[in-house]
Amino acid sequence: MSRPWTNKPLALALCACVAFAFSCAHRKAVVAPEPPSEASAEAKTAPQPPGEGTTVVRPEPRVAAAGHPESGVTTSELPADLEELNKAGYLKDAFFDTNKSELRPDAREALAADATWLKEHPTVKILIEGHCDEHNTAEYNLALGWRRTNAAKDYLVSLAVAADRIATISYGEERPFGTCHDESCWSQNRRVHFVITAR
Amino acid sequence: MKQRIPLVCTLALAAALAPPAAAQEEVYLRVTSPGLTRVMIALPGFPSRPGTDQAAAASLVATLRKDLDETAAVGLVPEQNASLVVVDPGNPTLTRQRWRAVGAQFLLDGSLAGAGNQIVLEVRLWDLTSGEIAYSRRLQGSVGLAPTIAHTLANELVHLFTGRPGPFLSRFAFVSDRSGSKEIWVMRWDGTEAQQLTSHRSIALSPAWSPDGDWLAFTSFLRGNPQLFILRPTQGYLKPLSSLPGVNSSPSFSPDGKLIAFAAGDDGNTDIWVVPAEGGTPERLTHTIGISTQPAWSPSGRQIVFTSAVGGTPQLYVMDTEGTNIRRLTFEDKFADEAAWAPDGVRIAYTTLVEGLFQIAILDLRTNTRSVVAGPGNNESPCWSPDGTVLAFVSNRTGAQQIFMTDPAGRPRQITTEGNNVQPAWVAQVQ
Repeated sequence: MSRPWTNKPLALALCACVAFAFSCAHRKAVVAPEPPSEASAEAKTAPQPPGEGTTVVRPEPRVAAAGHPESGVTTSELPADLEELNKAGYLKDAFFDTNKSELRPDAREALAADATWLKEHPTVKILIEGHCDEHNTAEYNLALGWRRTNAAKDYLVSLAVAADRIATISYGEERPFGTCHDESCWSQNRRVHFVITAR
Repeated sequence: MKQRIPLVCTLALAAALAPPAAAQEEVYLRVTSPGLTRVMIALPGFPSRPGTDQAAAASLVATLRKDLDETAAVGLVPEQNASLVVVDPGNPTLTRQRWRAVGAQFLLDGSLAGAGNQIVLEVRLWDLTSGEIAYSRRLQGSVGLAPTIAHTLANELVHLFTGRPGPFLSRFAFVSDRSGSKEIWVMRWDGTEAQQLTSHRSIALSPAWSPDGDWLAFTSFLRGNPQLFILRPTQGYLKPLSSLPGVNSSPSFSPDGKLIAFAAGDDGNTDIWVVPAEGGTPERLTHTIGISTQPAWSPSGRQIVFTSAVGGTPQLYVMDTEGTNIRRLTFEDKFADEAAWAPDGVRIAYTTLVEGLFQIAILDLRTNTRSVVAGPGNNESPCWSPDGTVLAFVSNRTGAQQIFMTDPAGRPRQITTEGNNVQPAWVAQVQ
């Protein structure tokens, strides 16, 4: 049956975003070759302070992780269509251990990145969906999904995202991302999923 | 055996079934434990007077035989034995001896008559030991209701011998996805006449009957988050019951039908709350650290059993209805959830985990012993029959999730076949 918010694999979004990221990277000019001198035959181990005419090379910008385009993209440049916006995968989902609603380090990382993005796009509103794998009963999982989505919201709020921008819902085990009966699907289902509801 | 006044009563069965008269009958013999000897009834057949619709008569007798064969409390003397008995109209004592010789303890005799589109059944139940009439009835209805007349009589006989309602007009409410989305459905206890009650095209969960079968409470996502609604199955009338922020789920009616306990999470944790069945402000009962869910009232109405993960894993706890006196019930399970309190007040069926699979367990509160009813696949969501002798549950042993029932001998019988069917709730009769 059709879901209110689409959930497609991020593969296509990844390609688009990486390409986008690289196209925005700033790169400085290549170092100009030094003119040869009589002293160059001897190996000079001590580095020379830069003199006139030397281009100082700066560190390359970090490659953006999947789903995170370079900072500097303003809200007006985001797709206008909410479906497109959600497909672009700007916000990362966070994943959980079996039966747990505590945030793992990788979950905190994902949520921290989401908080950064949300603060850069202050008009965007989101819905955080709590999901579970098929362990435990359906009713228990409604409650577990609720704990997960609240854990994520509380963390975002602690990182200064305004609480009134964040709606929460639990789907328990009712809307799984993978329907196979092993850990490959279960680990995918134990998550909070982000949906942009207003741009 | 003291003389009983025969009860003569005419039941008019119209299109809407009228509730049976709330007579304070003496329970003739109490069969309390499943597995106890069945009371054997001889049913030689009902002669029909001219004018009786023959098809209706045949359908009535066949339904009655089938029903009485189904129950744990009574059994029918097999026809090949019954046919050996030679009735001597002039010598009732001898005739009784002959019936007893083929194993009968009671004899149900009666006759059918018809007028217009009506069919009338008059029956008497003879106690073959004392020679006295234990029960008599006159039932009448339109010919199309012949099966319902049989079910009504069978229910009365079960009630006579057990003091509990018979299952023959009972129904399940359950959740099925066969229409493409999880909706609330209702069917007869044998799986026939399945009907879809909701078409919200959302997610519907956890149906719960009011004790007299006139209301169904359930959870639905149709307004966004899971909220509680209450529905009148016979009229399709639906109204909201609880829409606290977050989760509103697992409704359970109190035995007097006035209150509904349920699980709600507003501040991030899920606890047990209670709301008047007629609507009103929900009140919080528990303040646990950790998830609390799946409340179920005791038959006395004085206690509520529920699941809580306050100890680390989901386990069963019991409390008074004010939310006080919380005590843990399960200590031997890695996981315990979905408690269902049997009508006898003594046993609680629940879902446990054995070697990675869900199985049904039964806790006897009197002896504090626990037994596991293991089966292939995952077996969960136990639900007691209204008379407490049979368990329905959900199993995925055939692949999809289906509702099963144990027969009087304890053997599982599959009741649903289409789609995935979960979360059964059993009621004696729909009002």
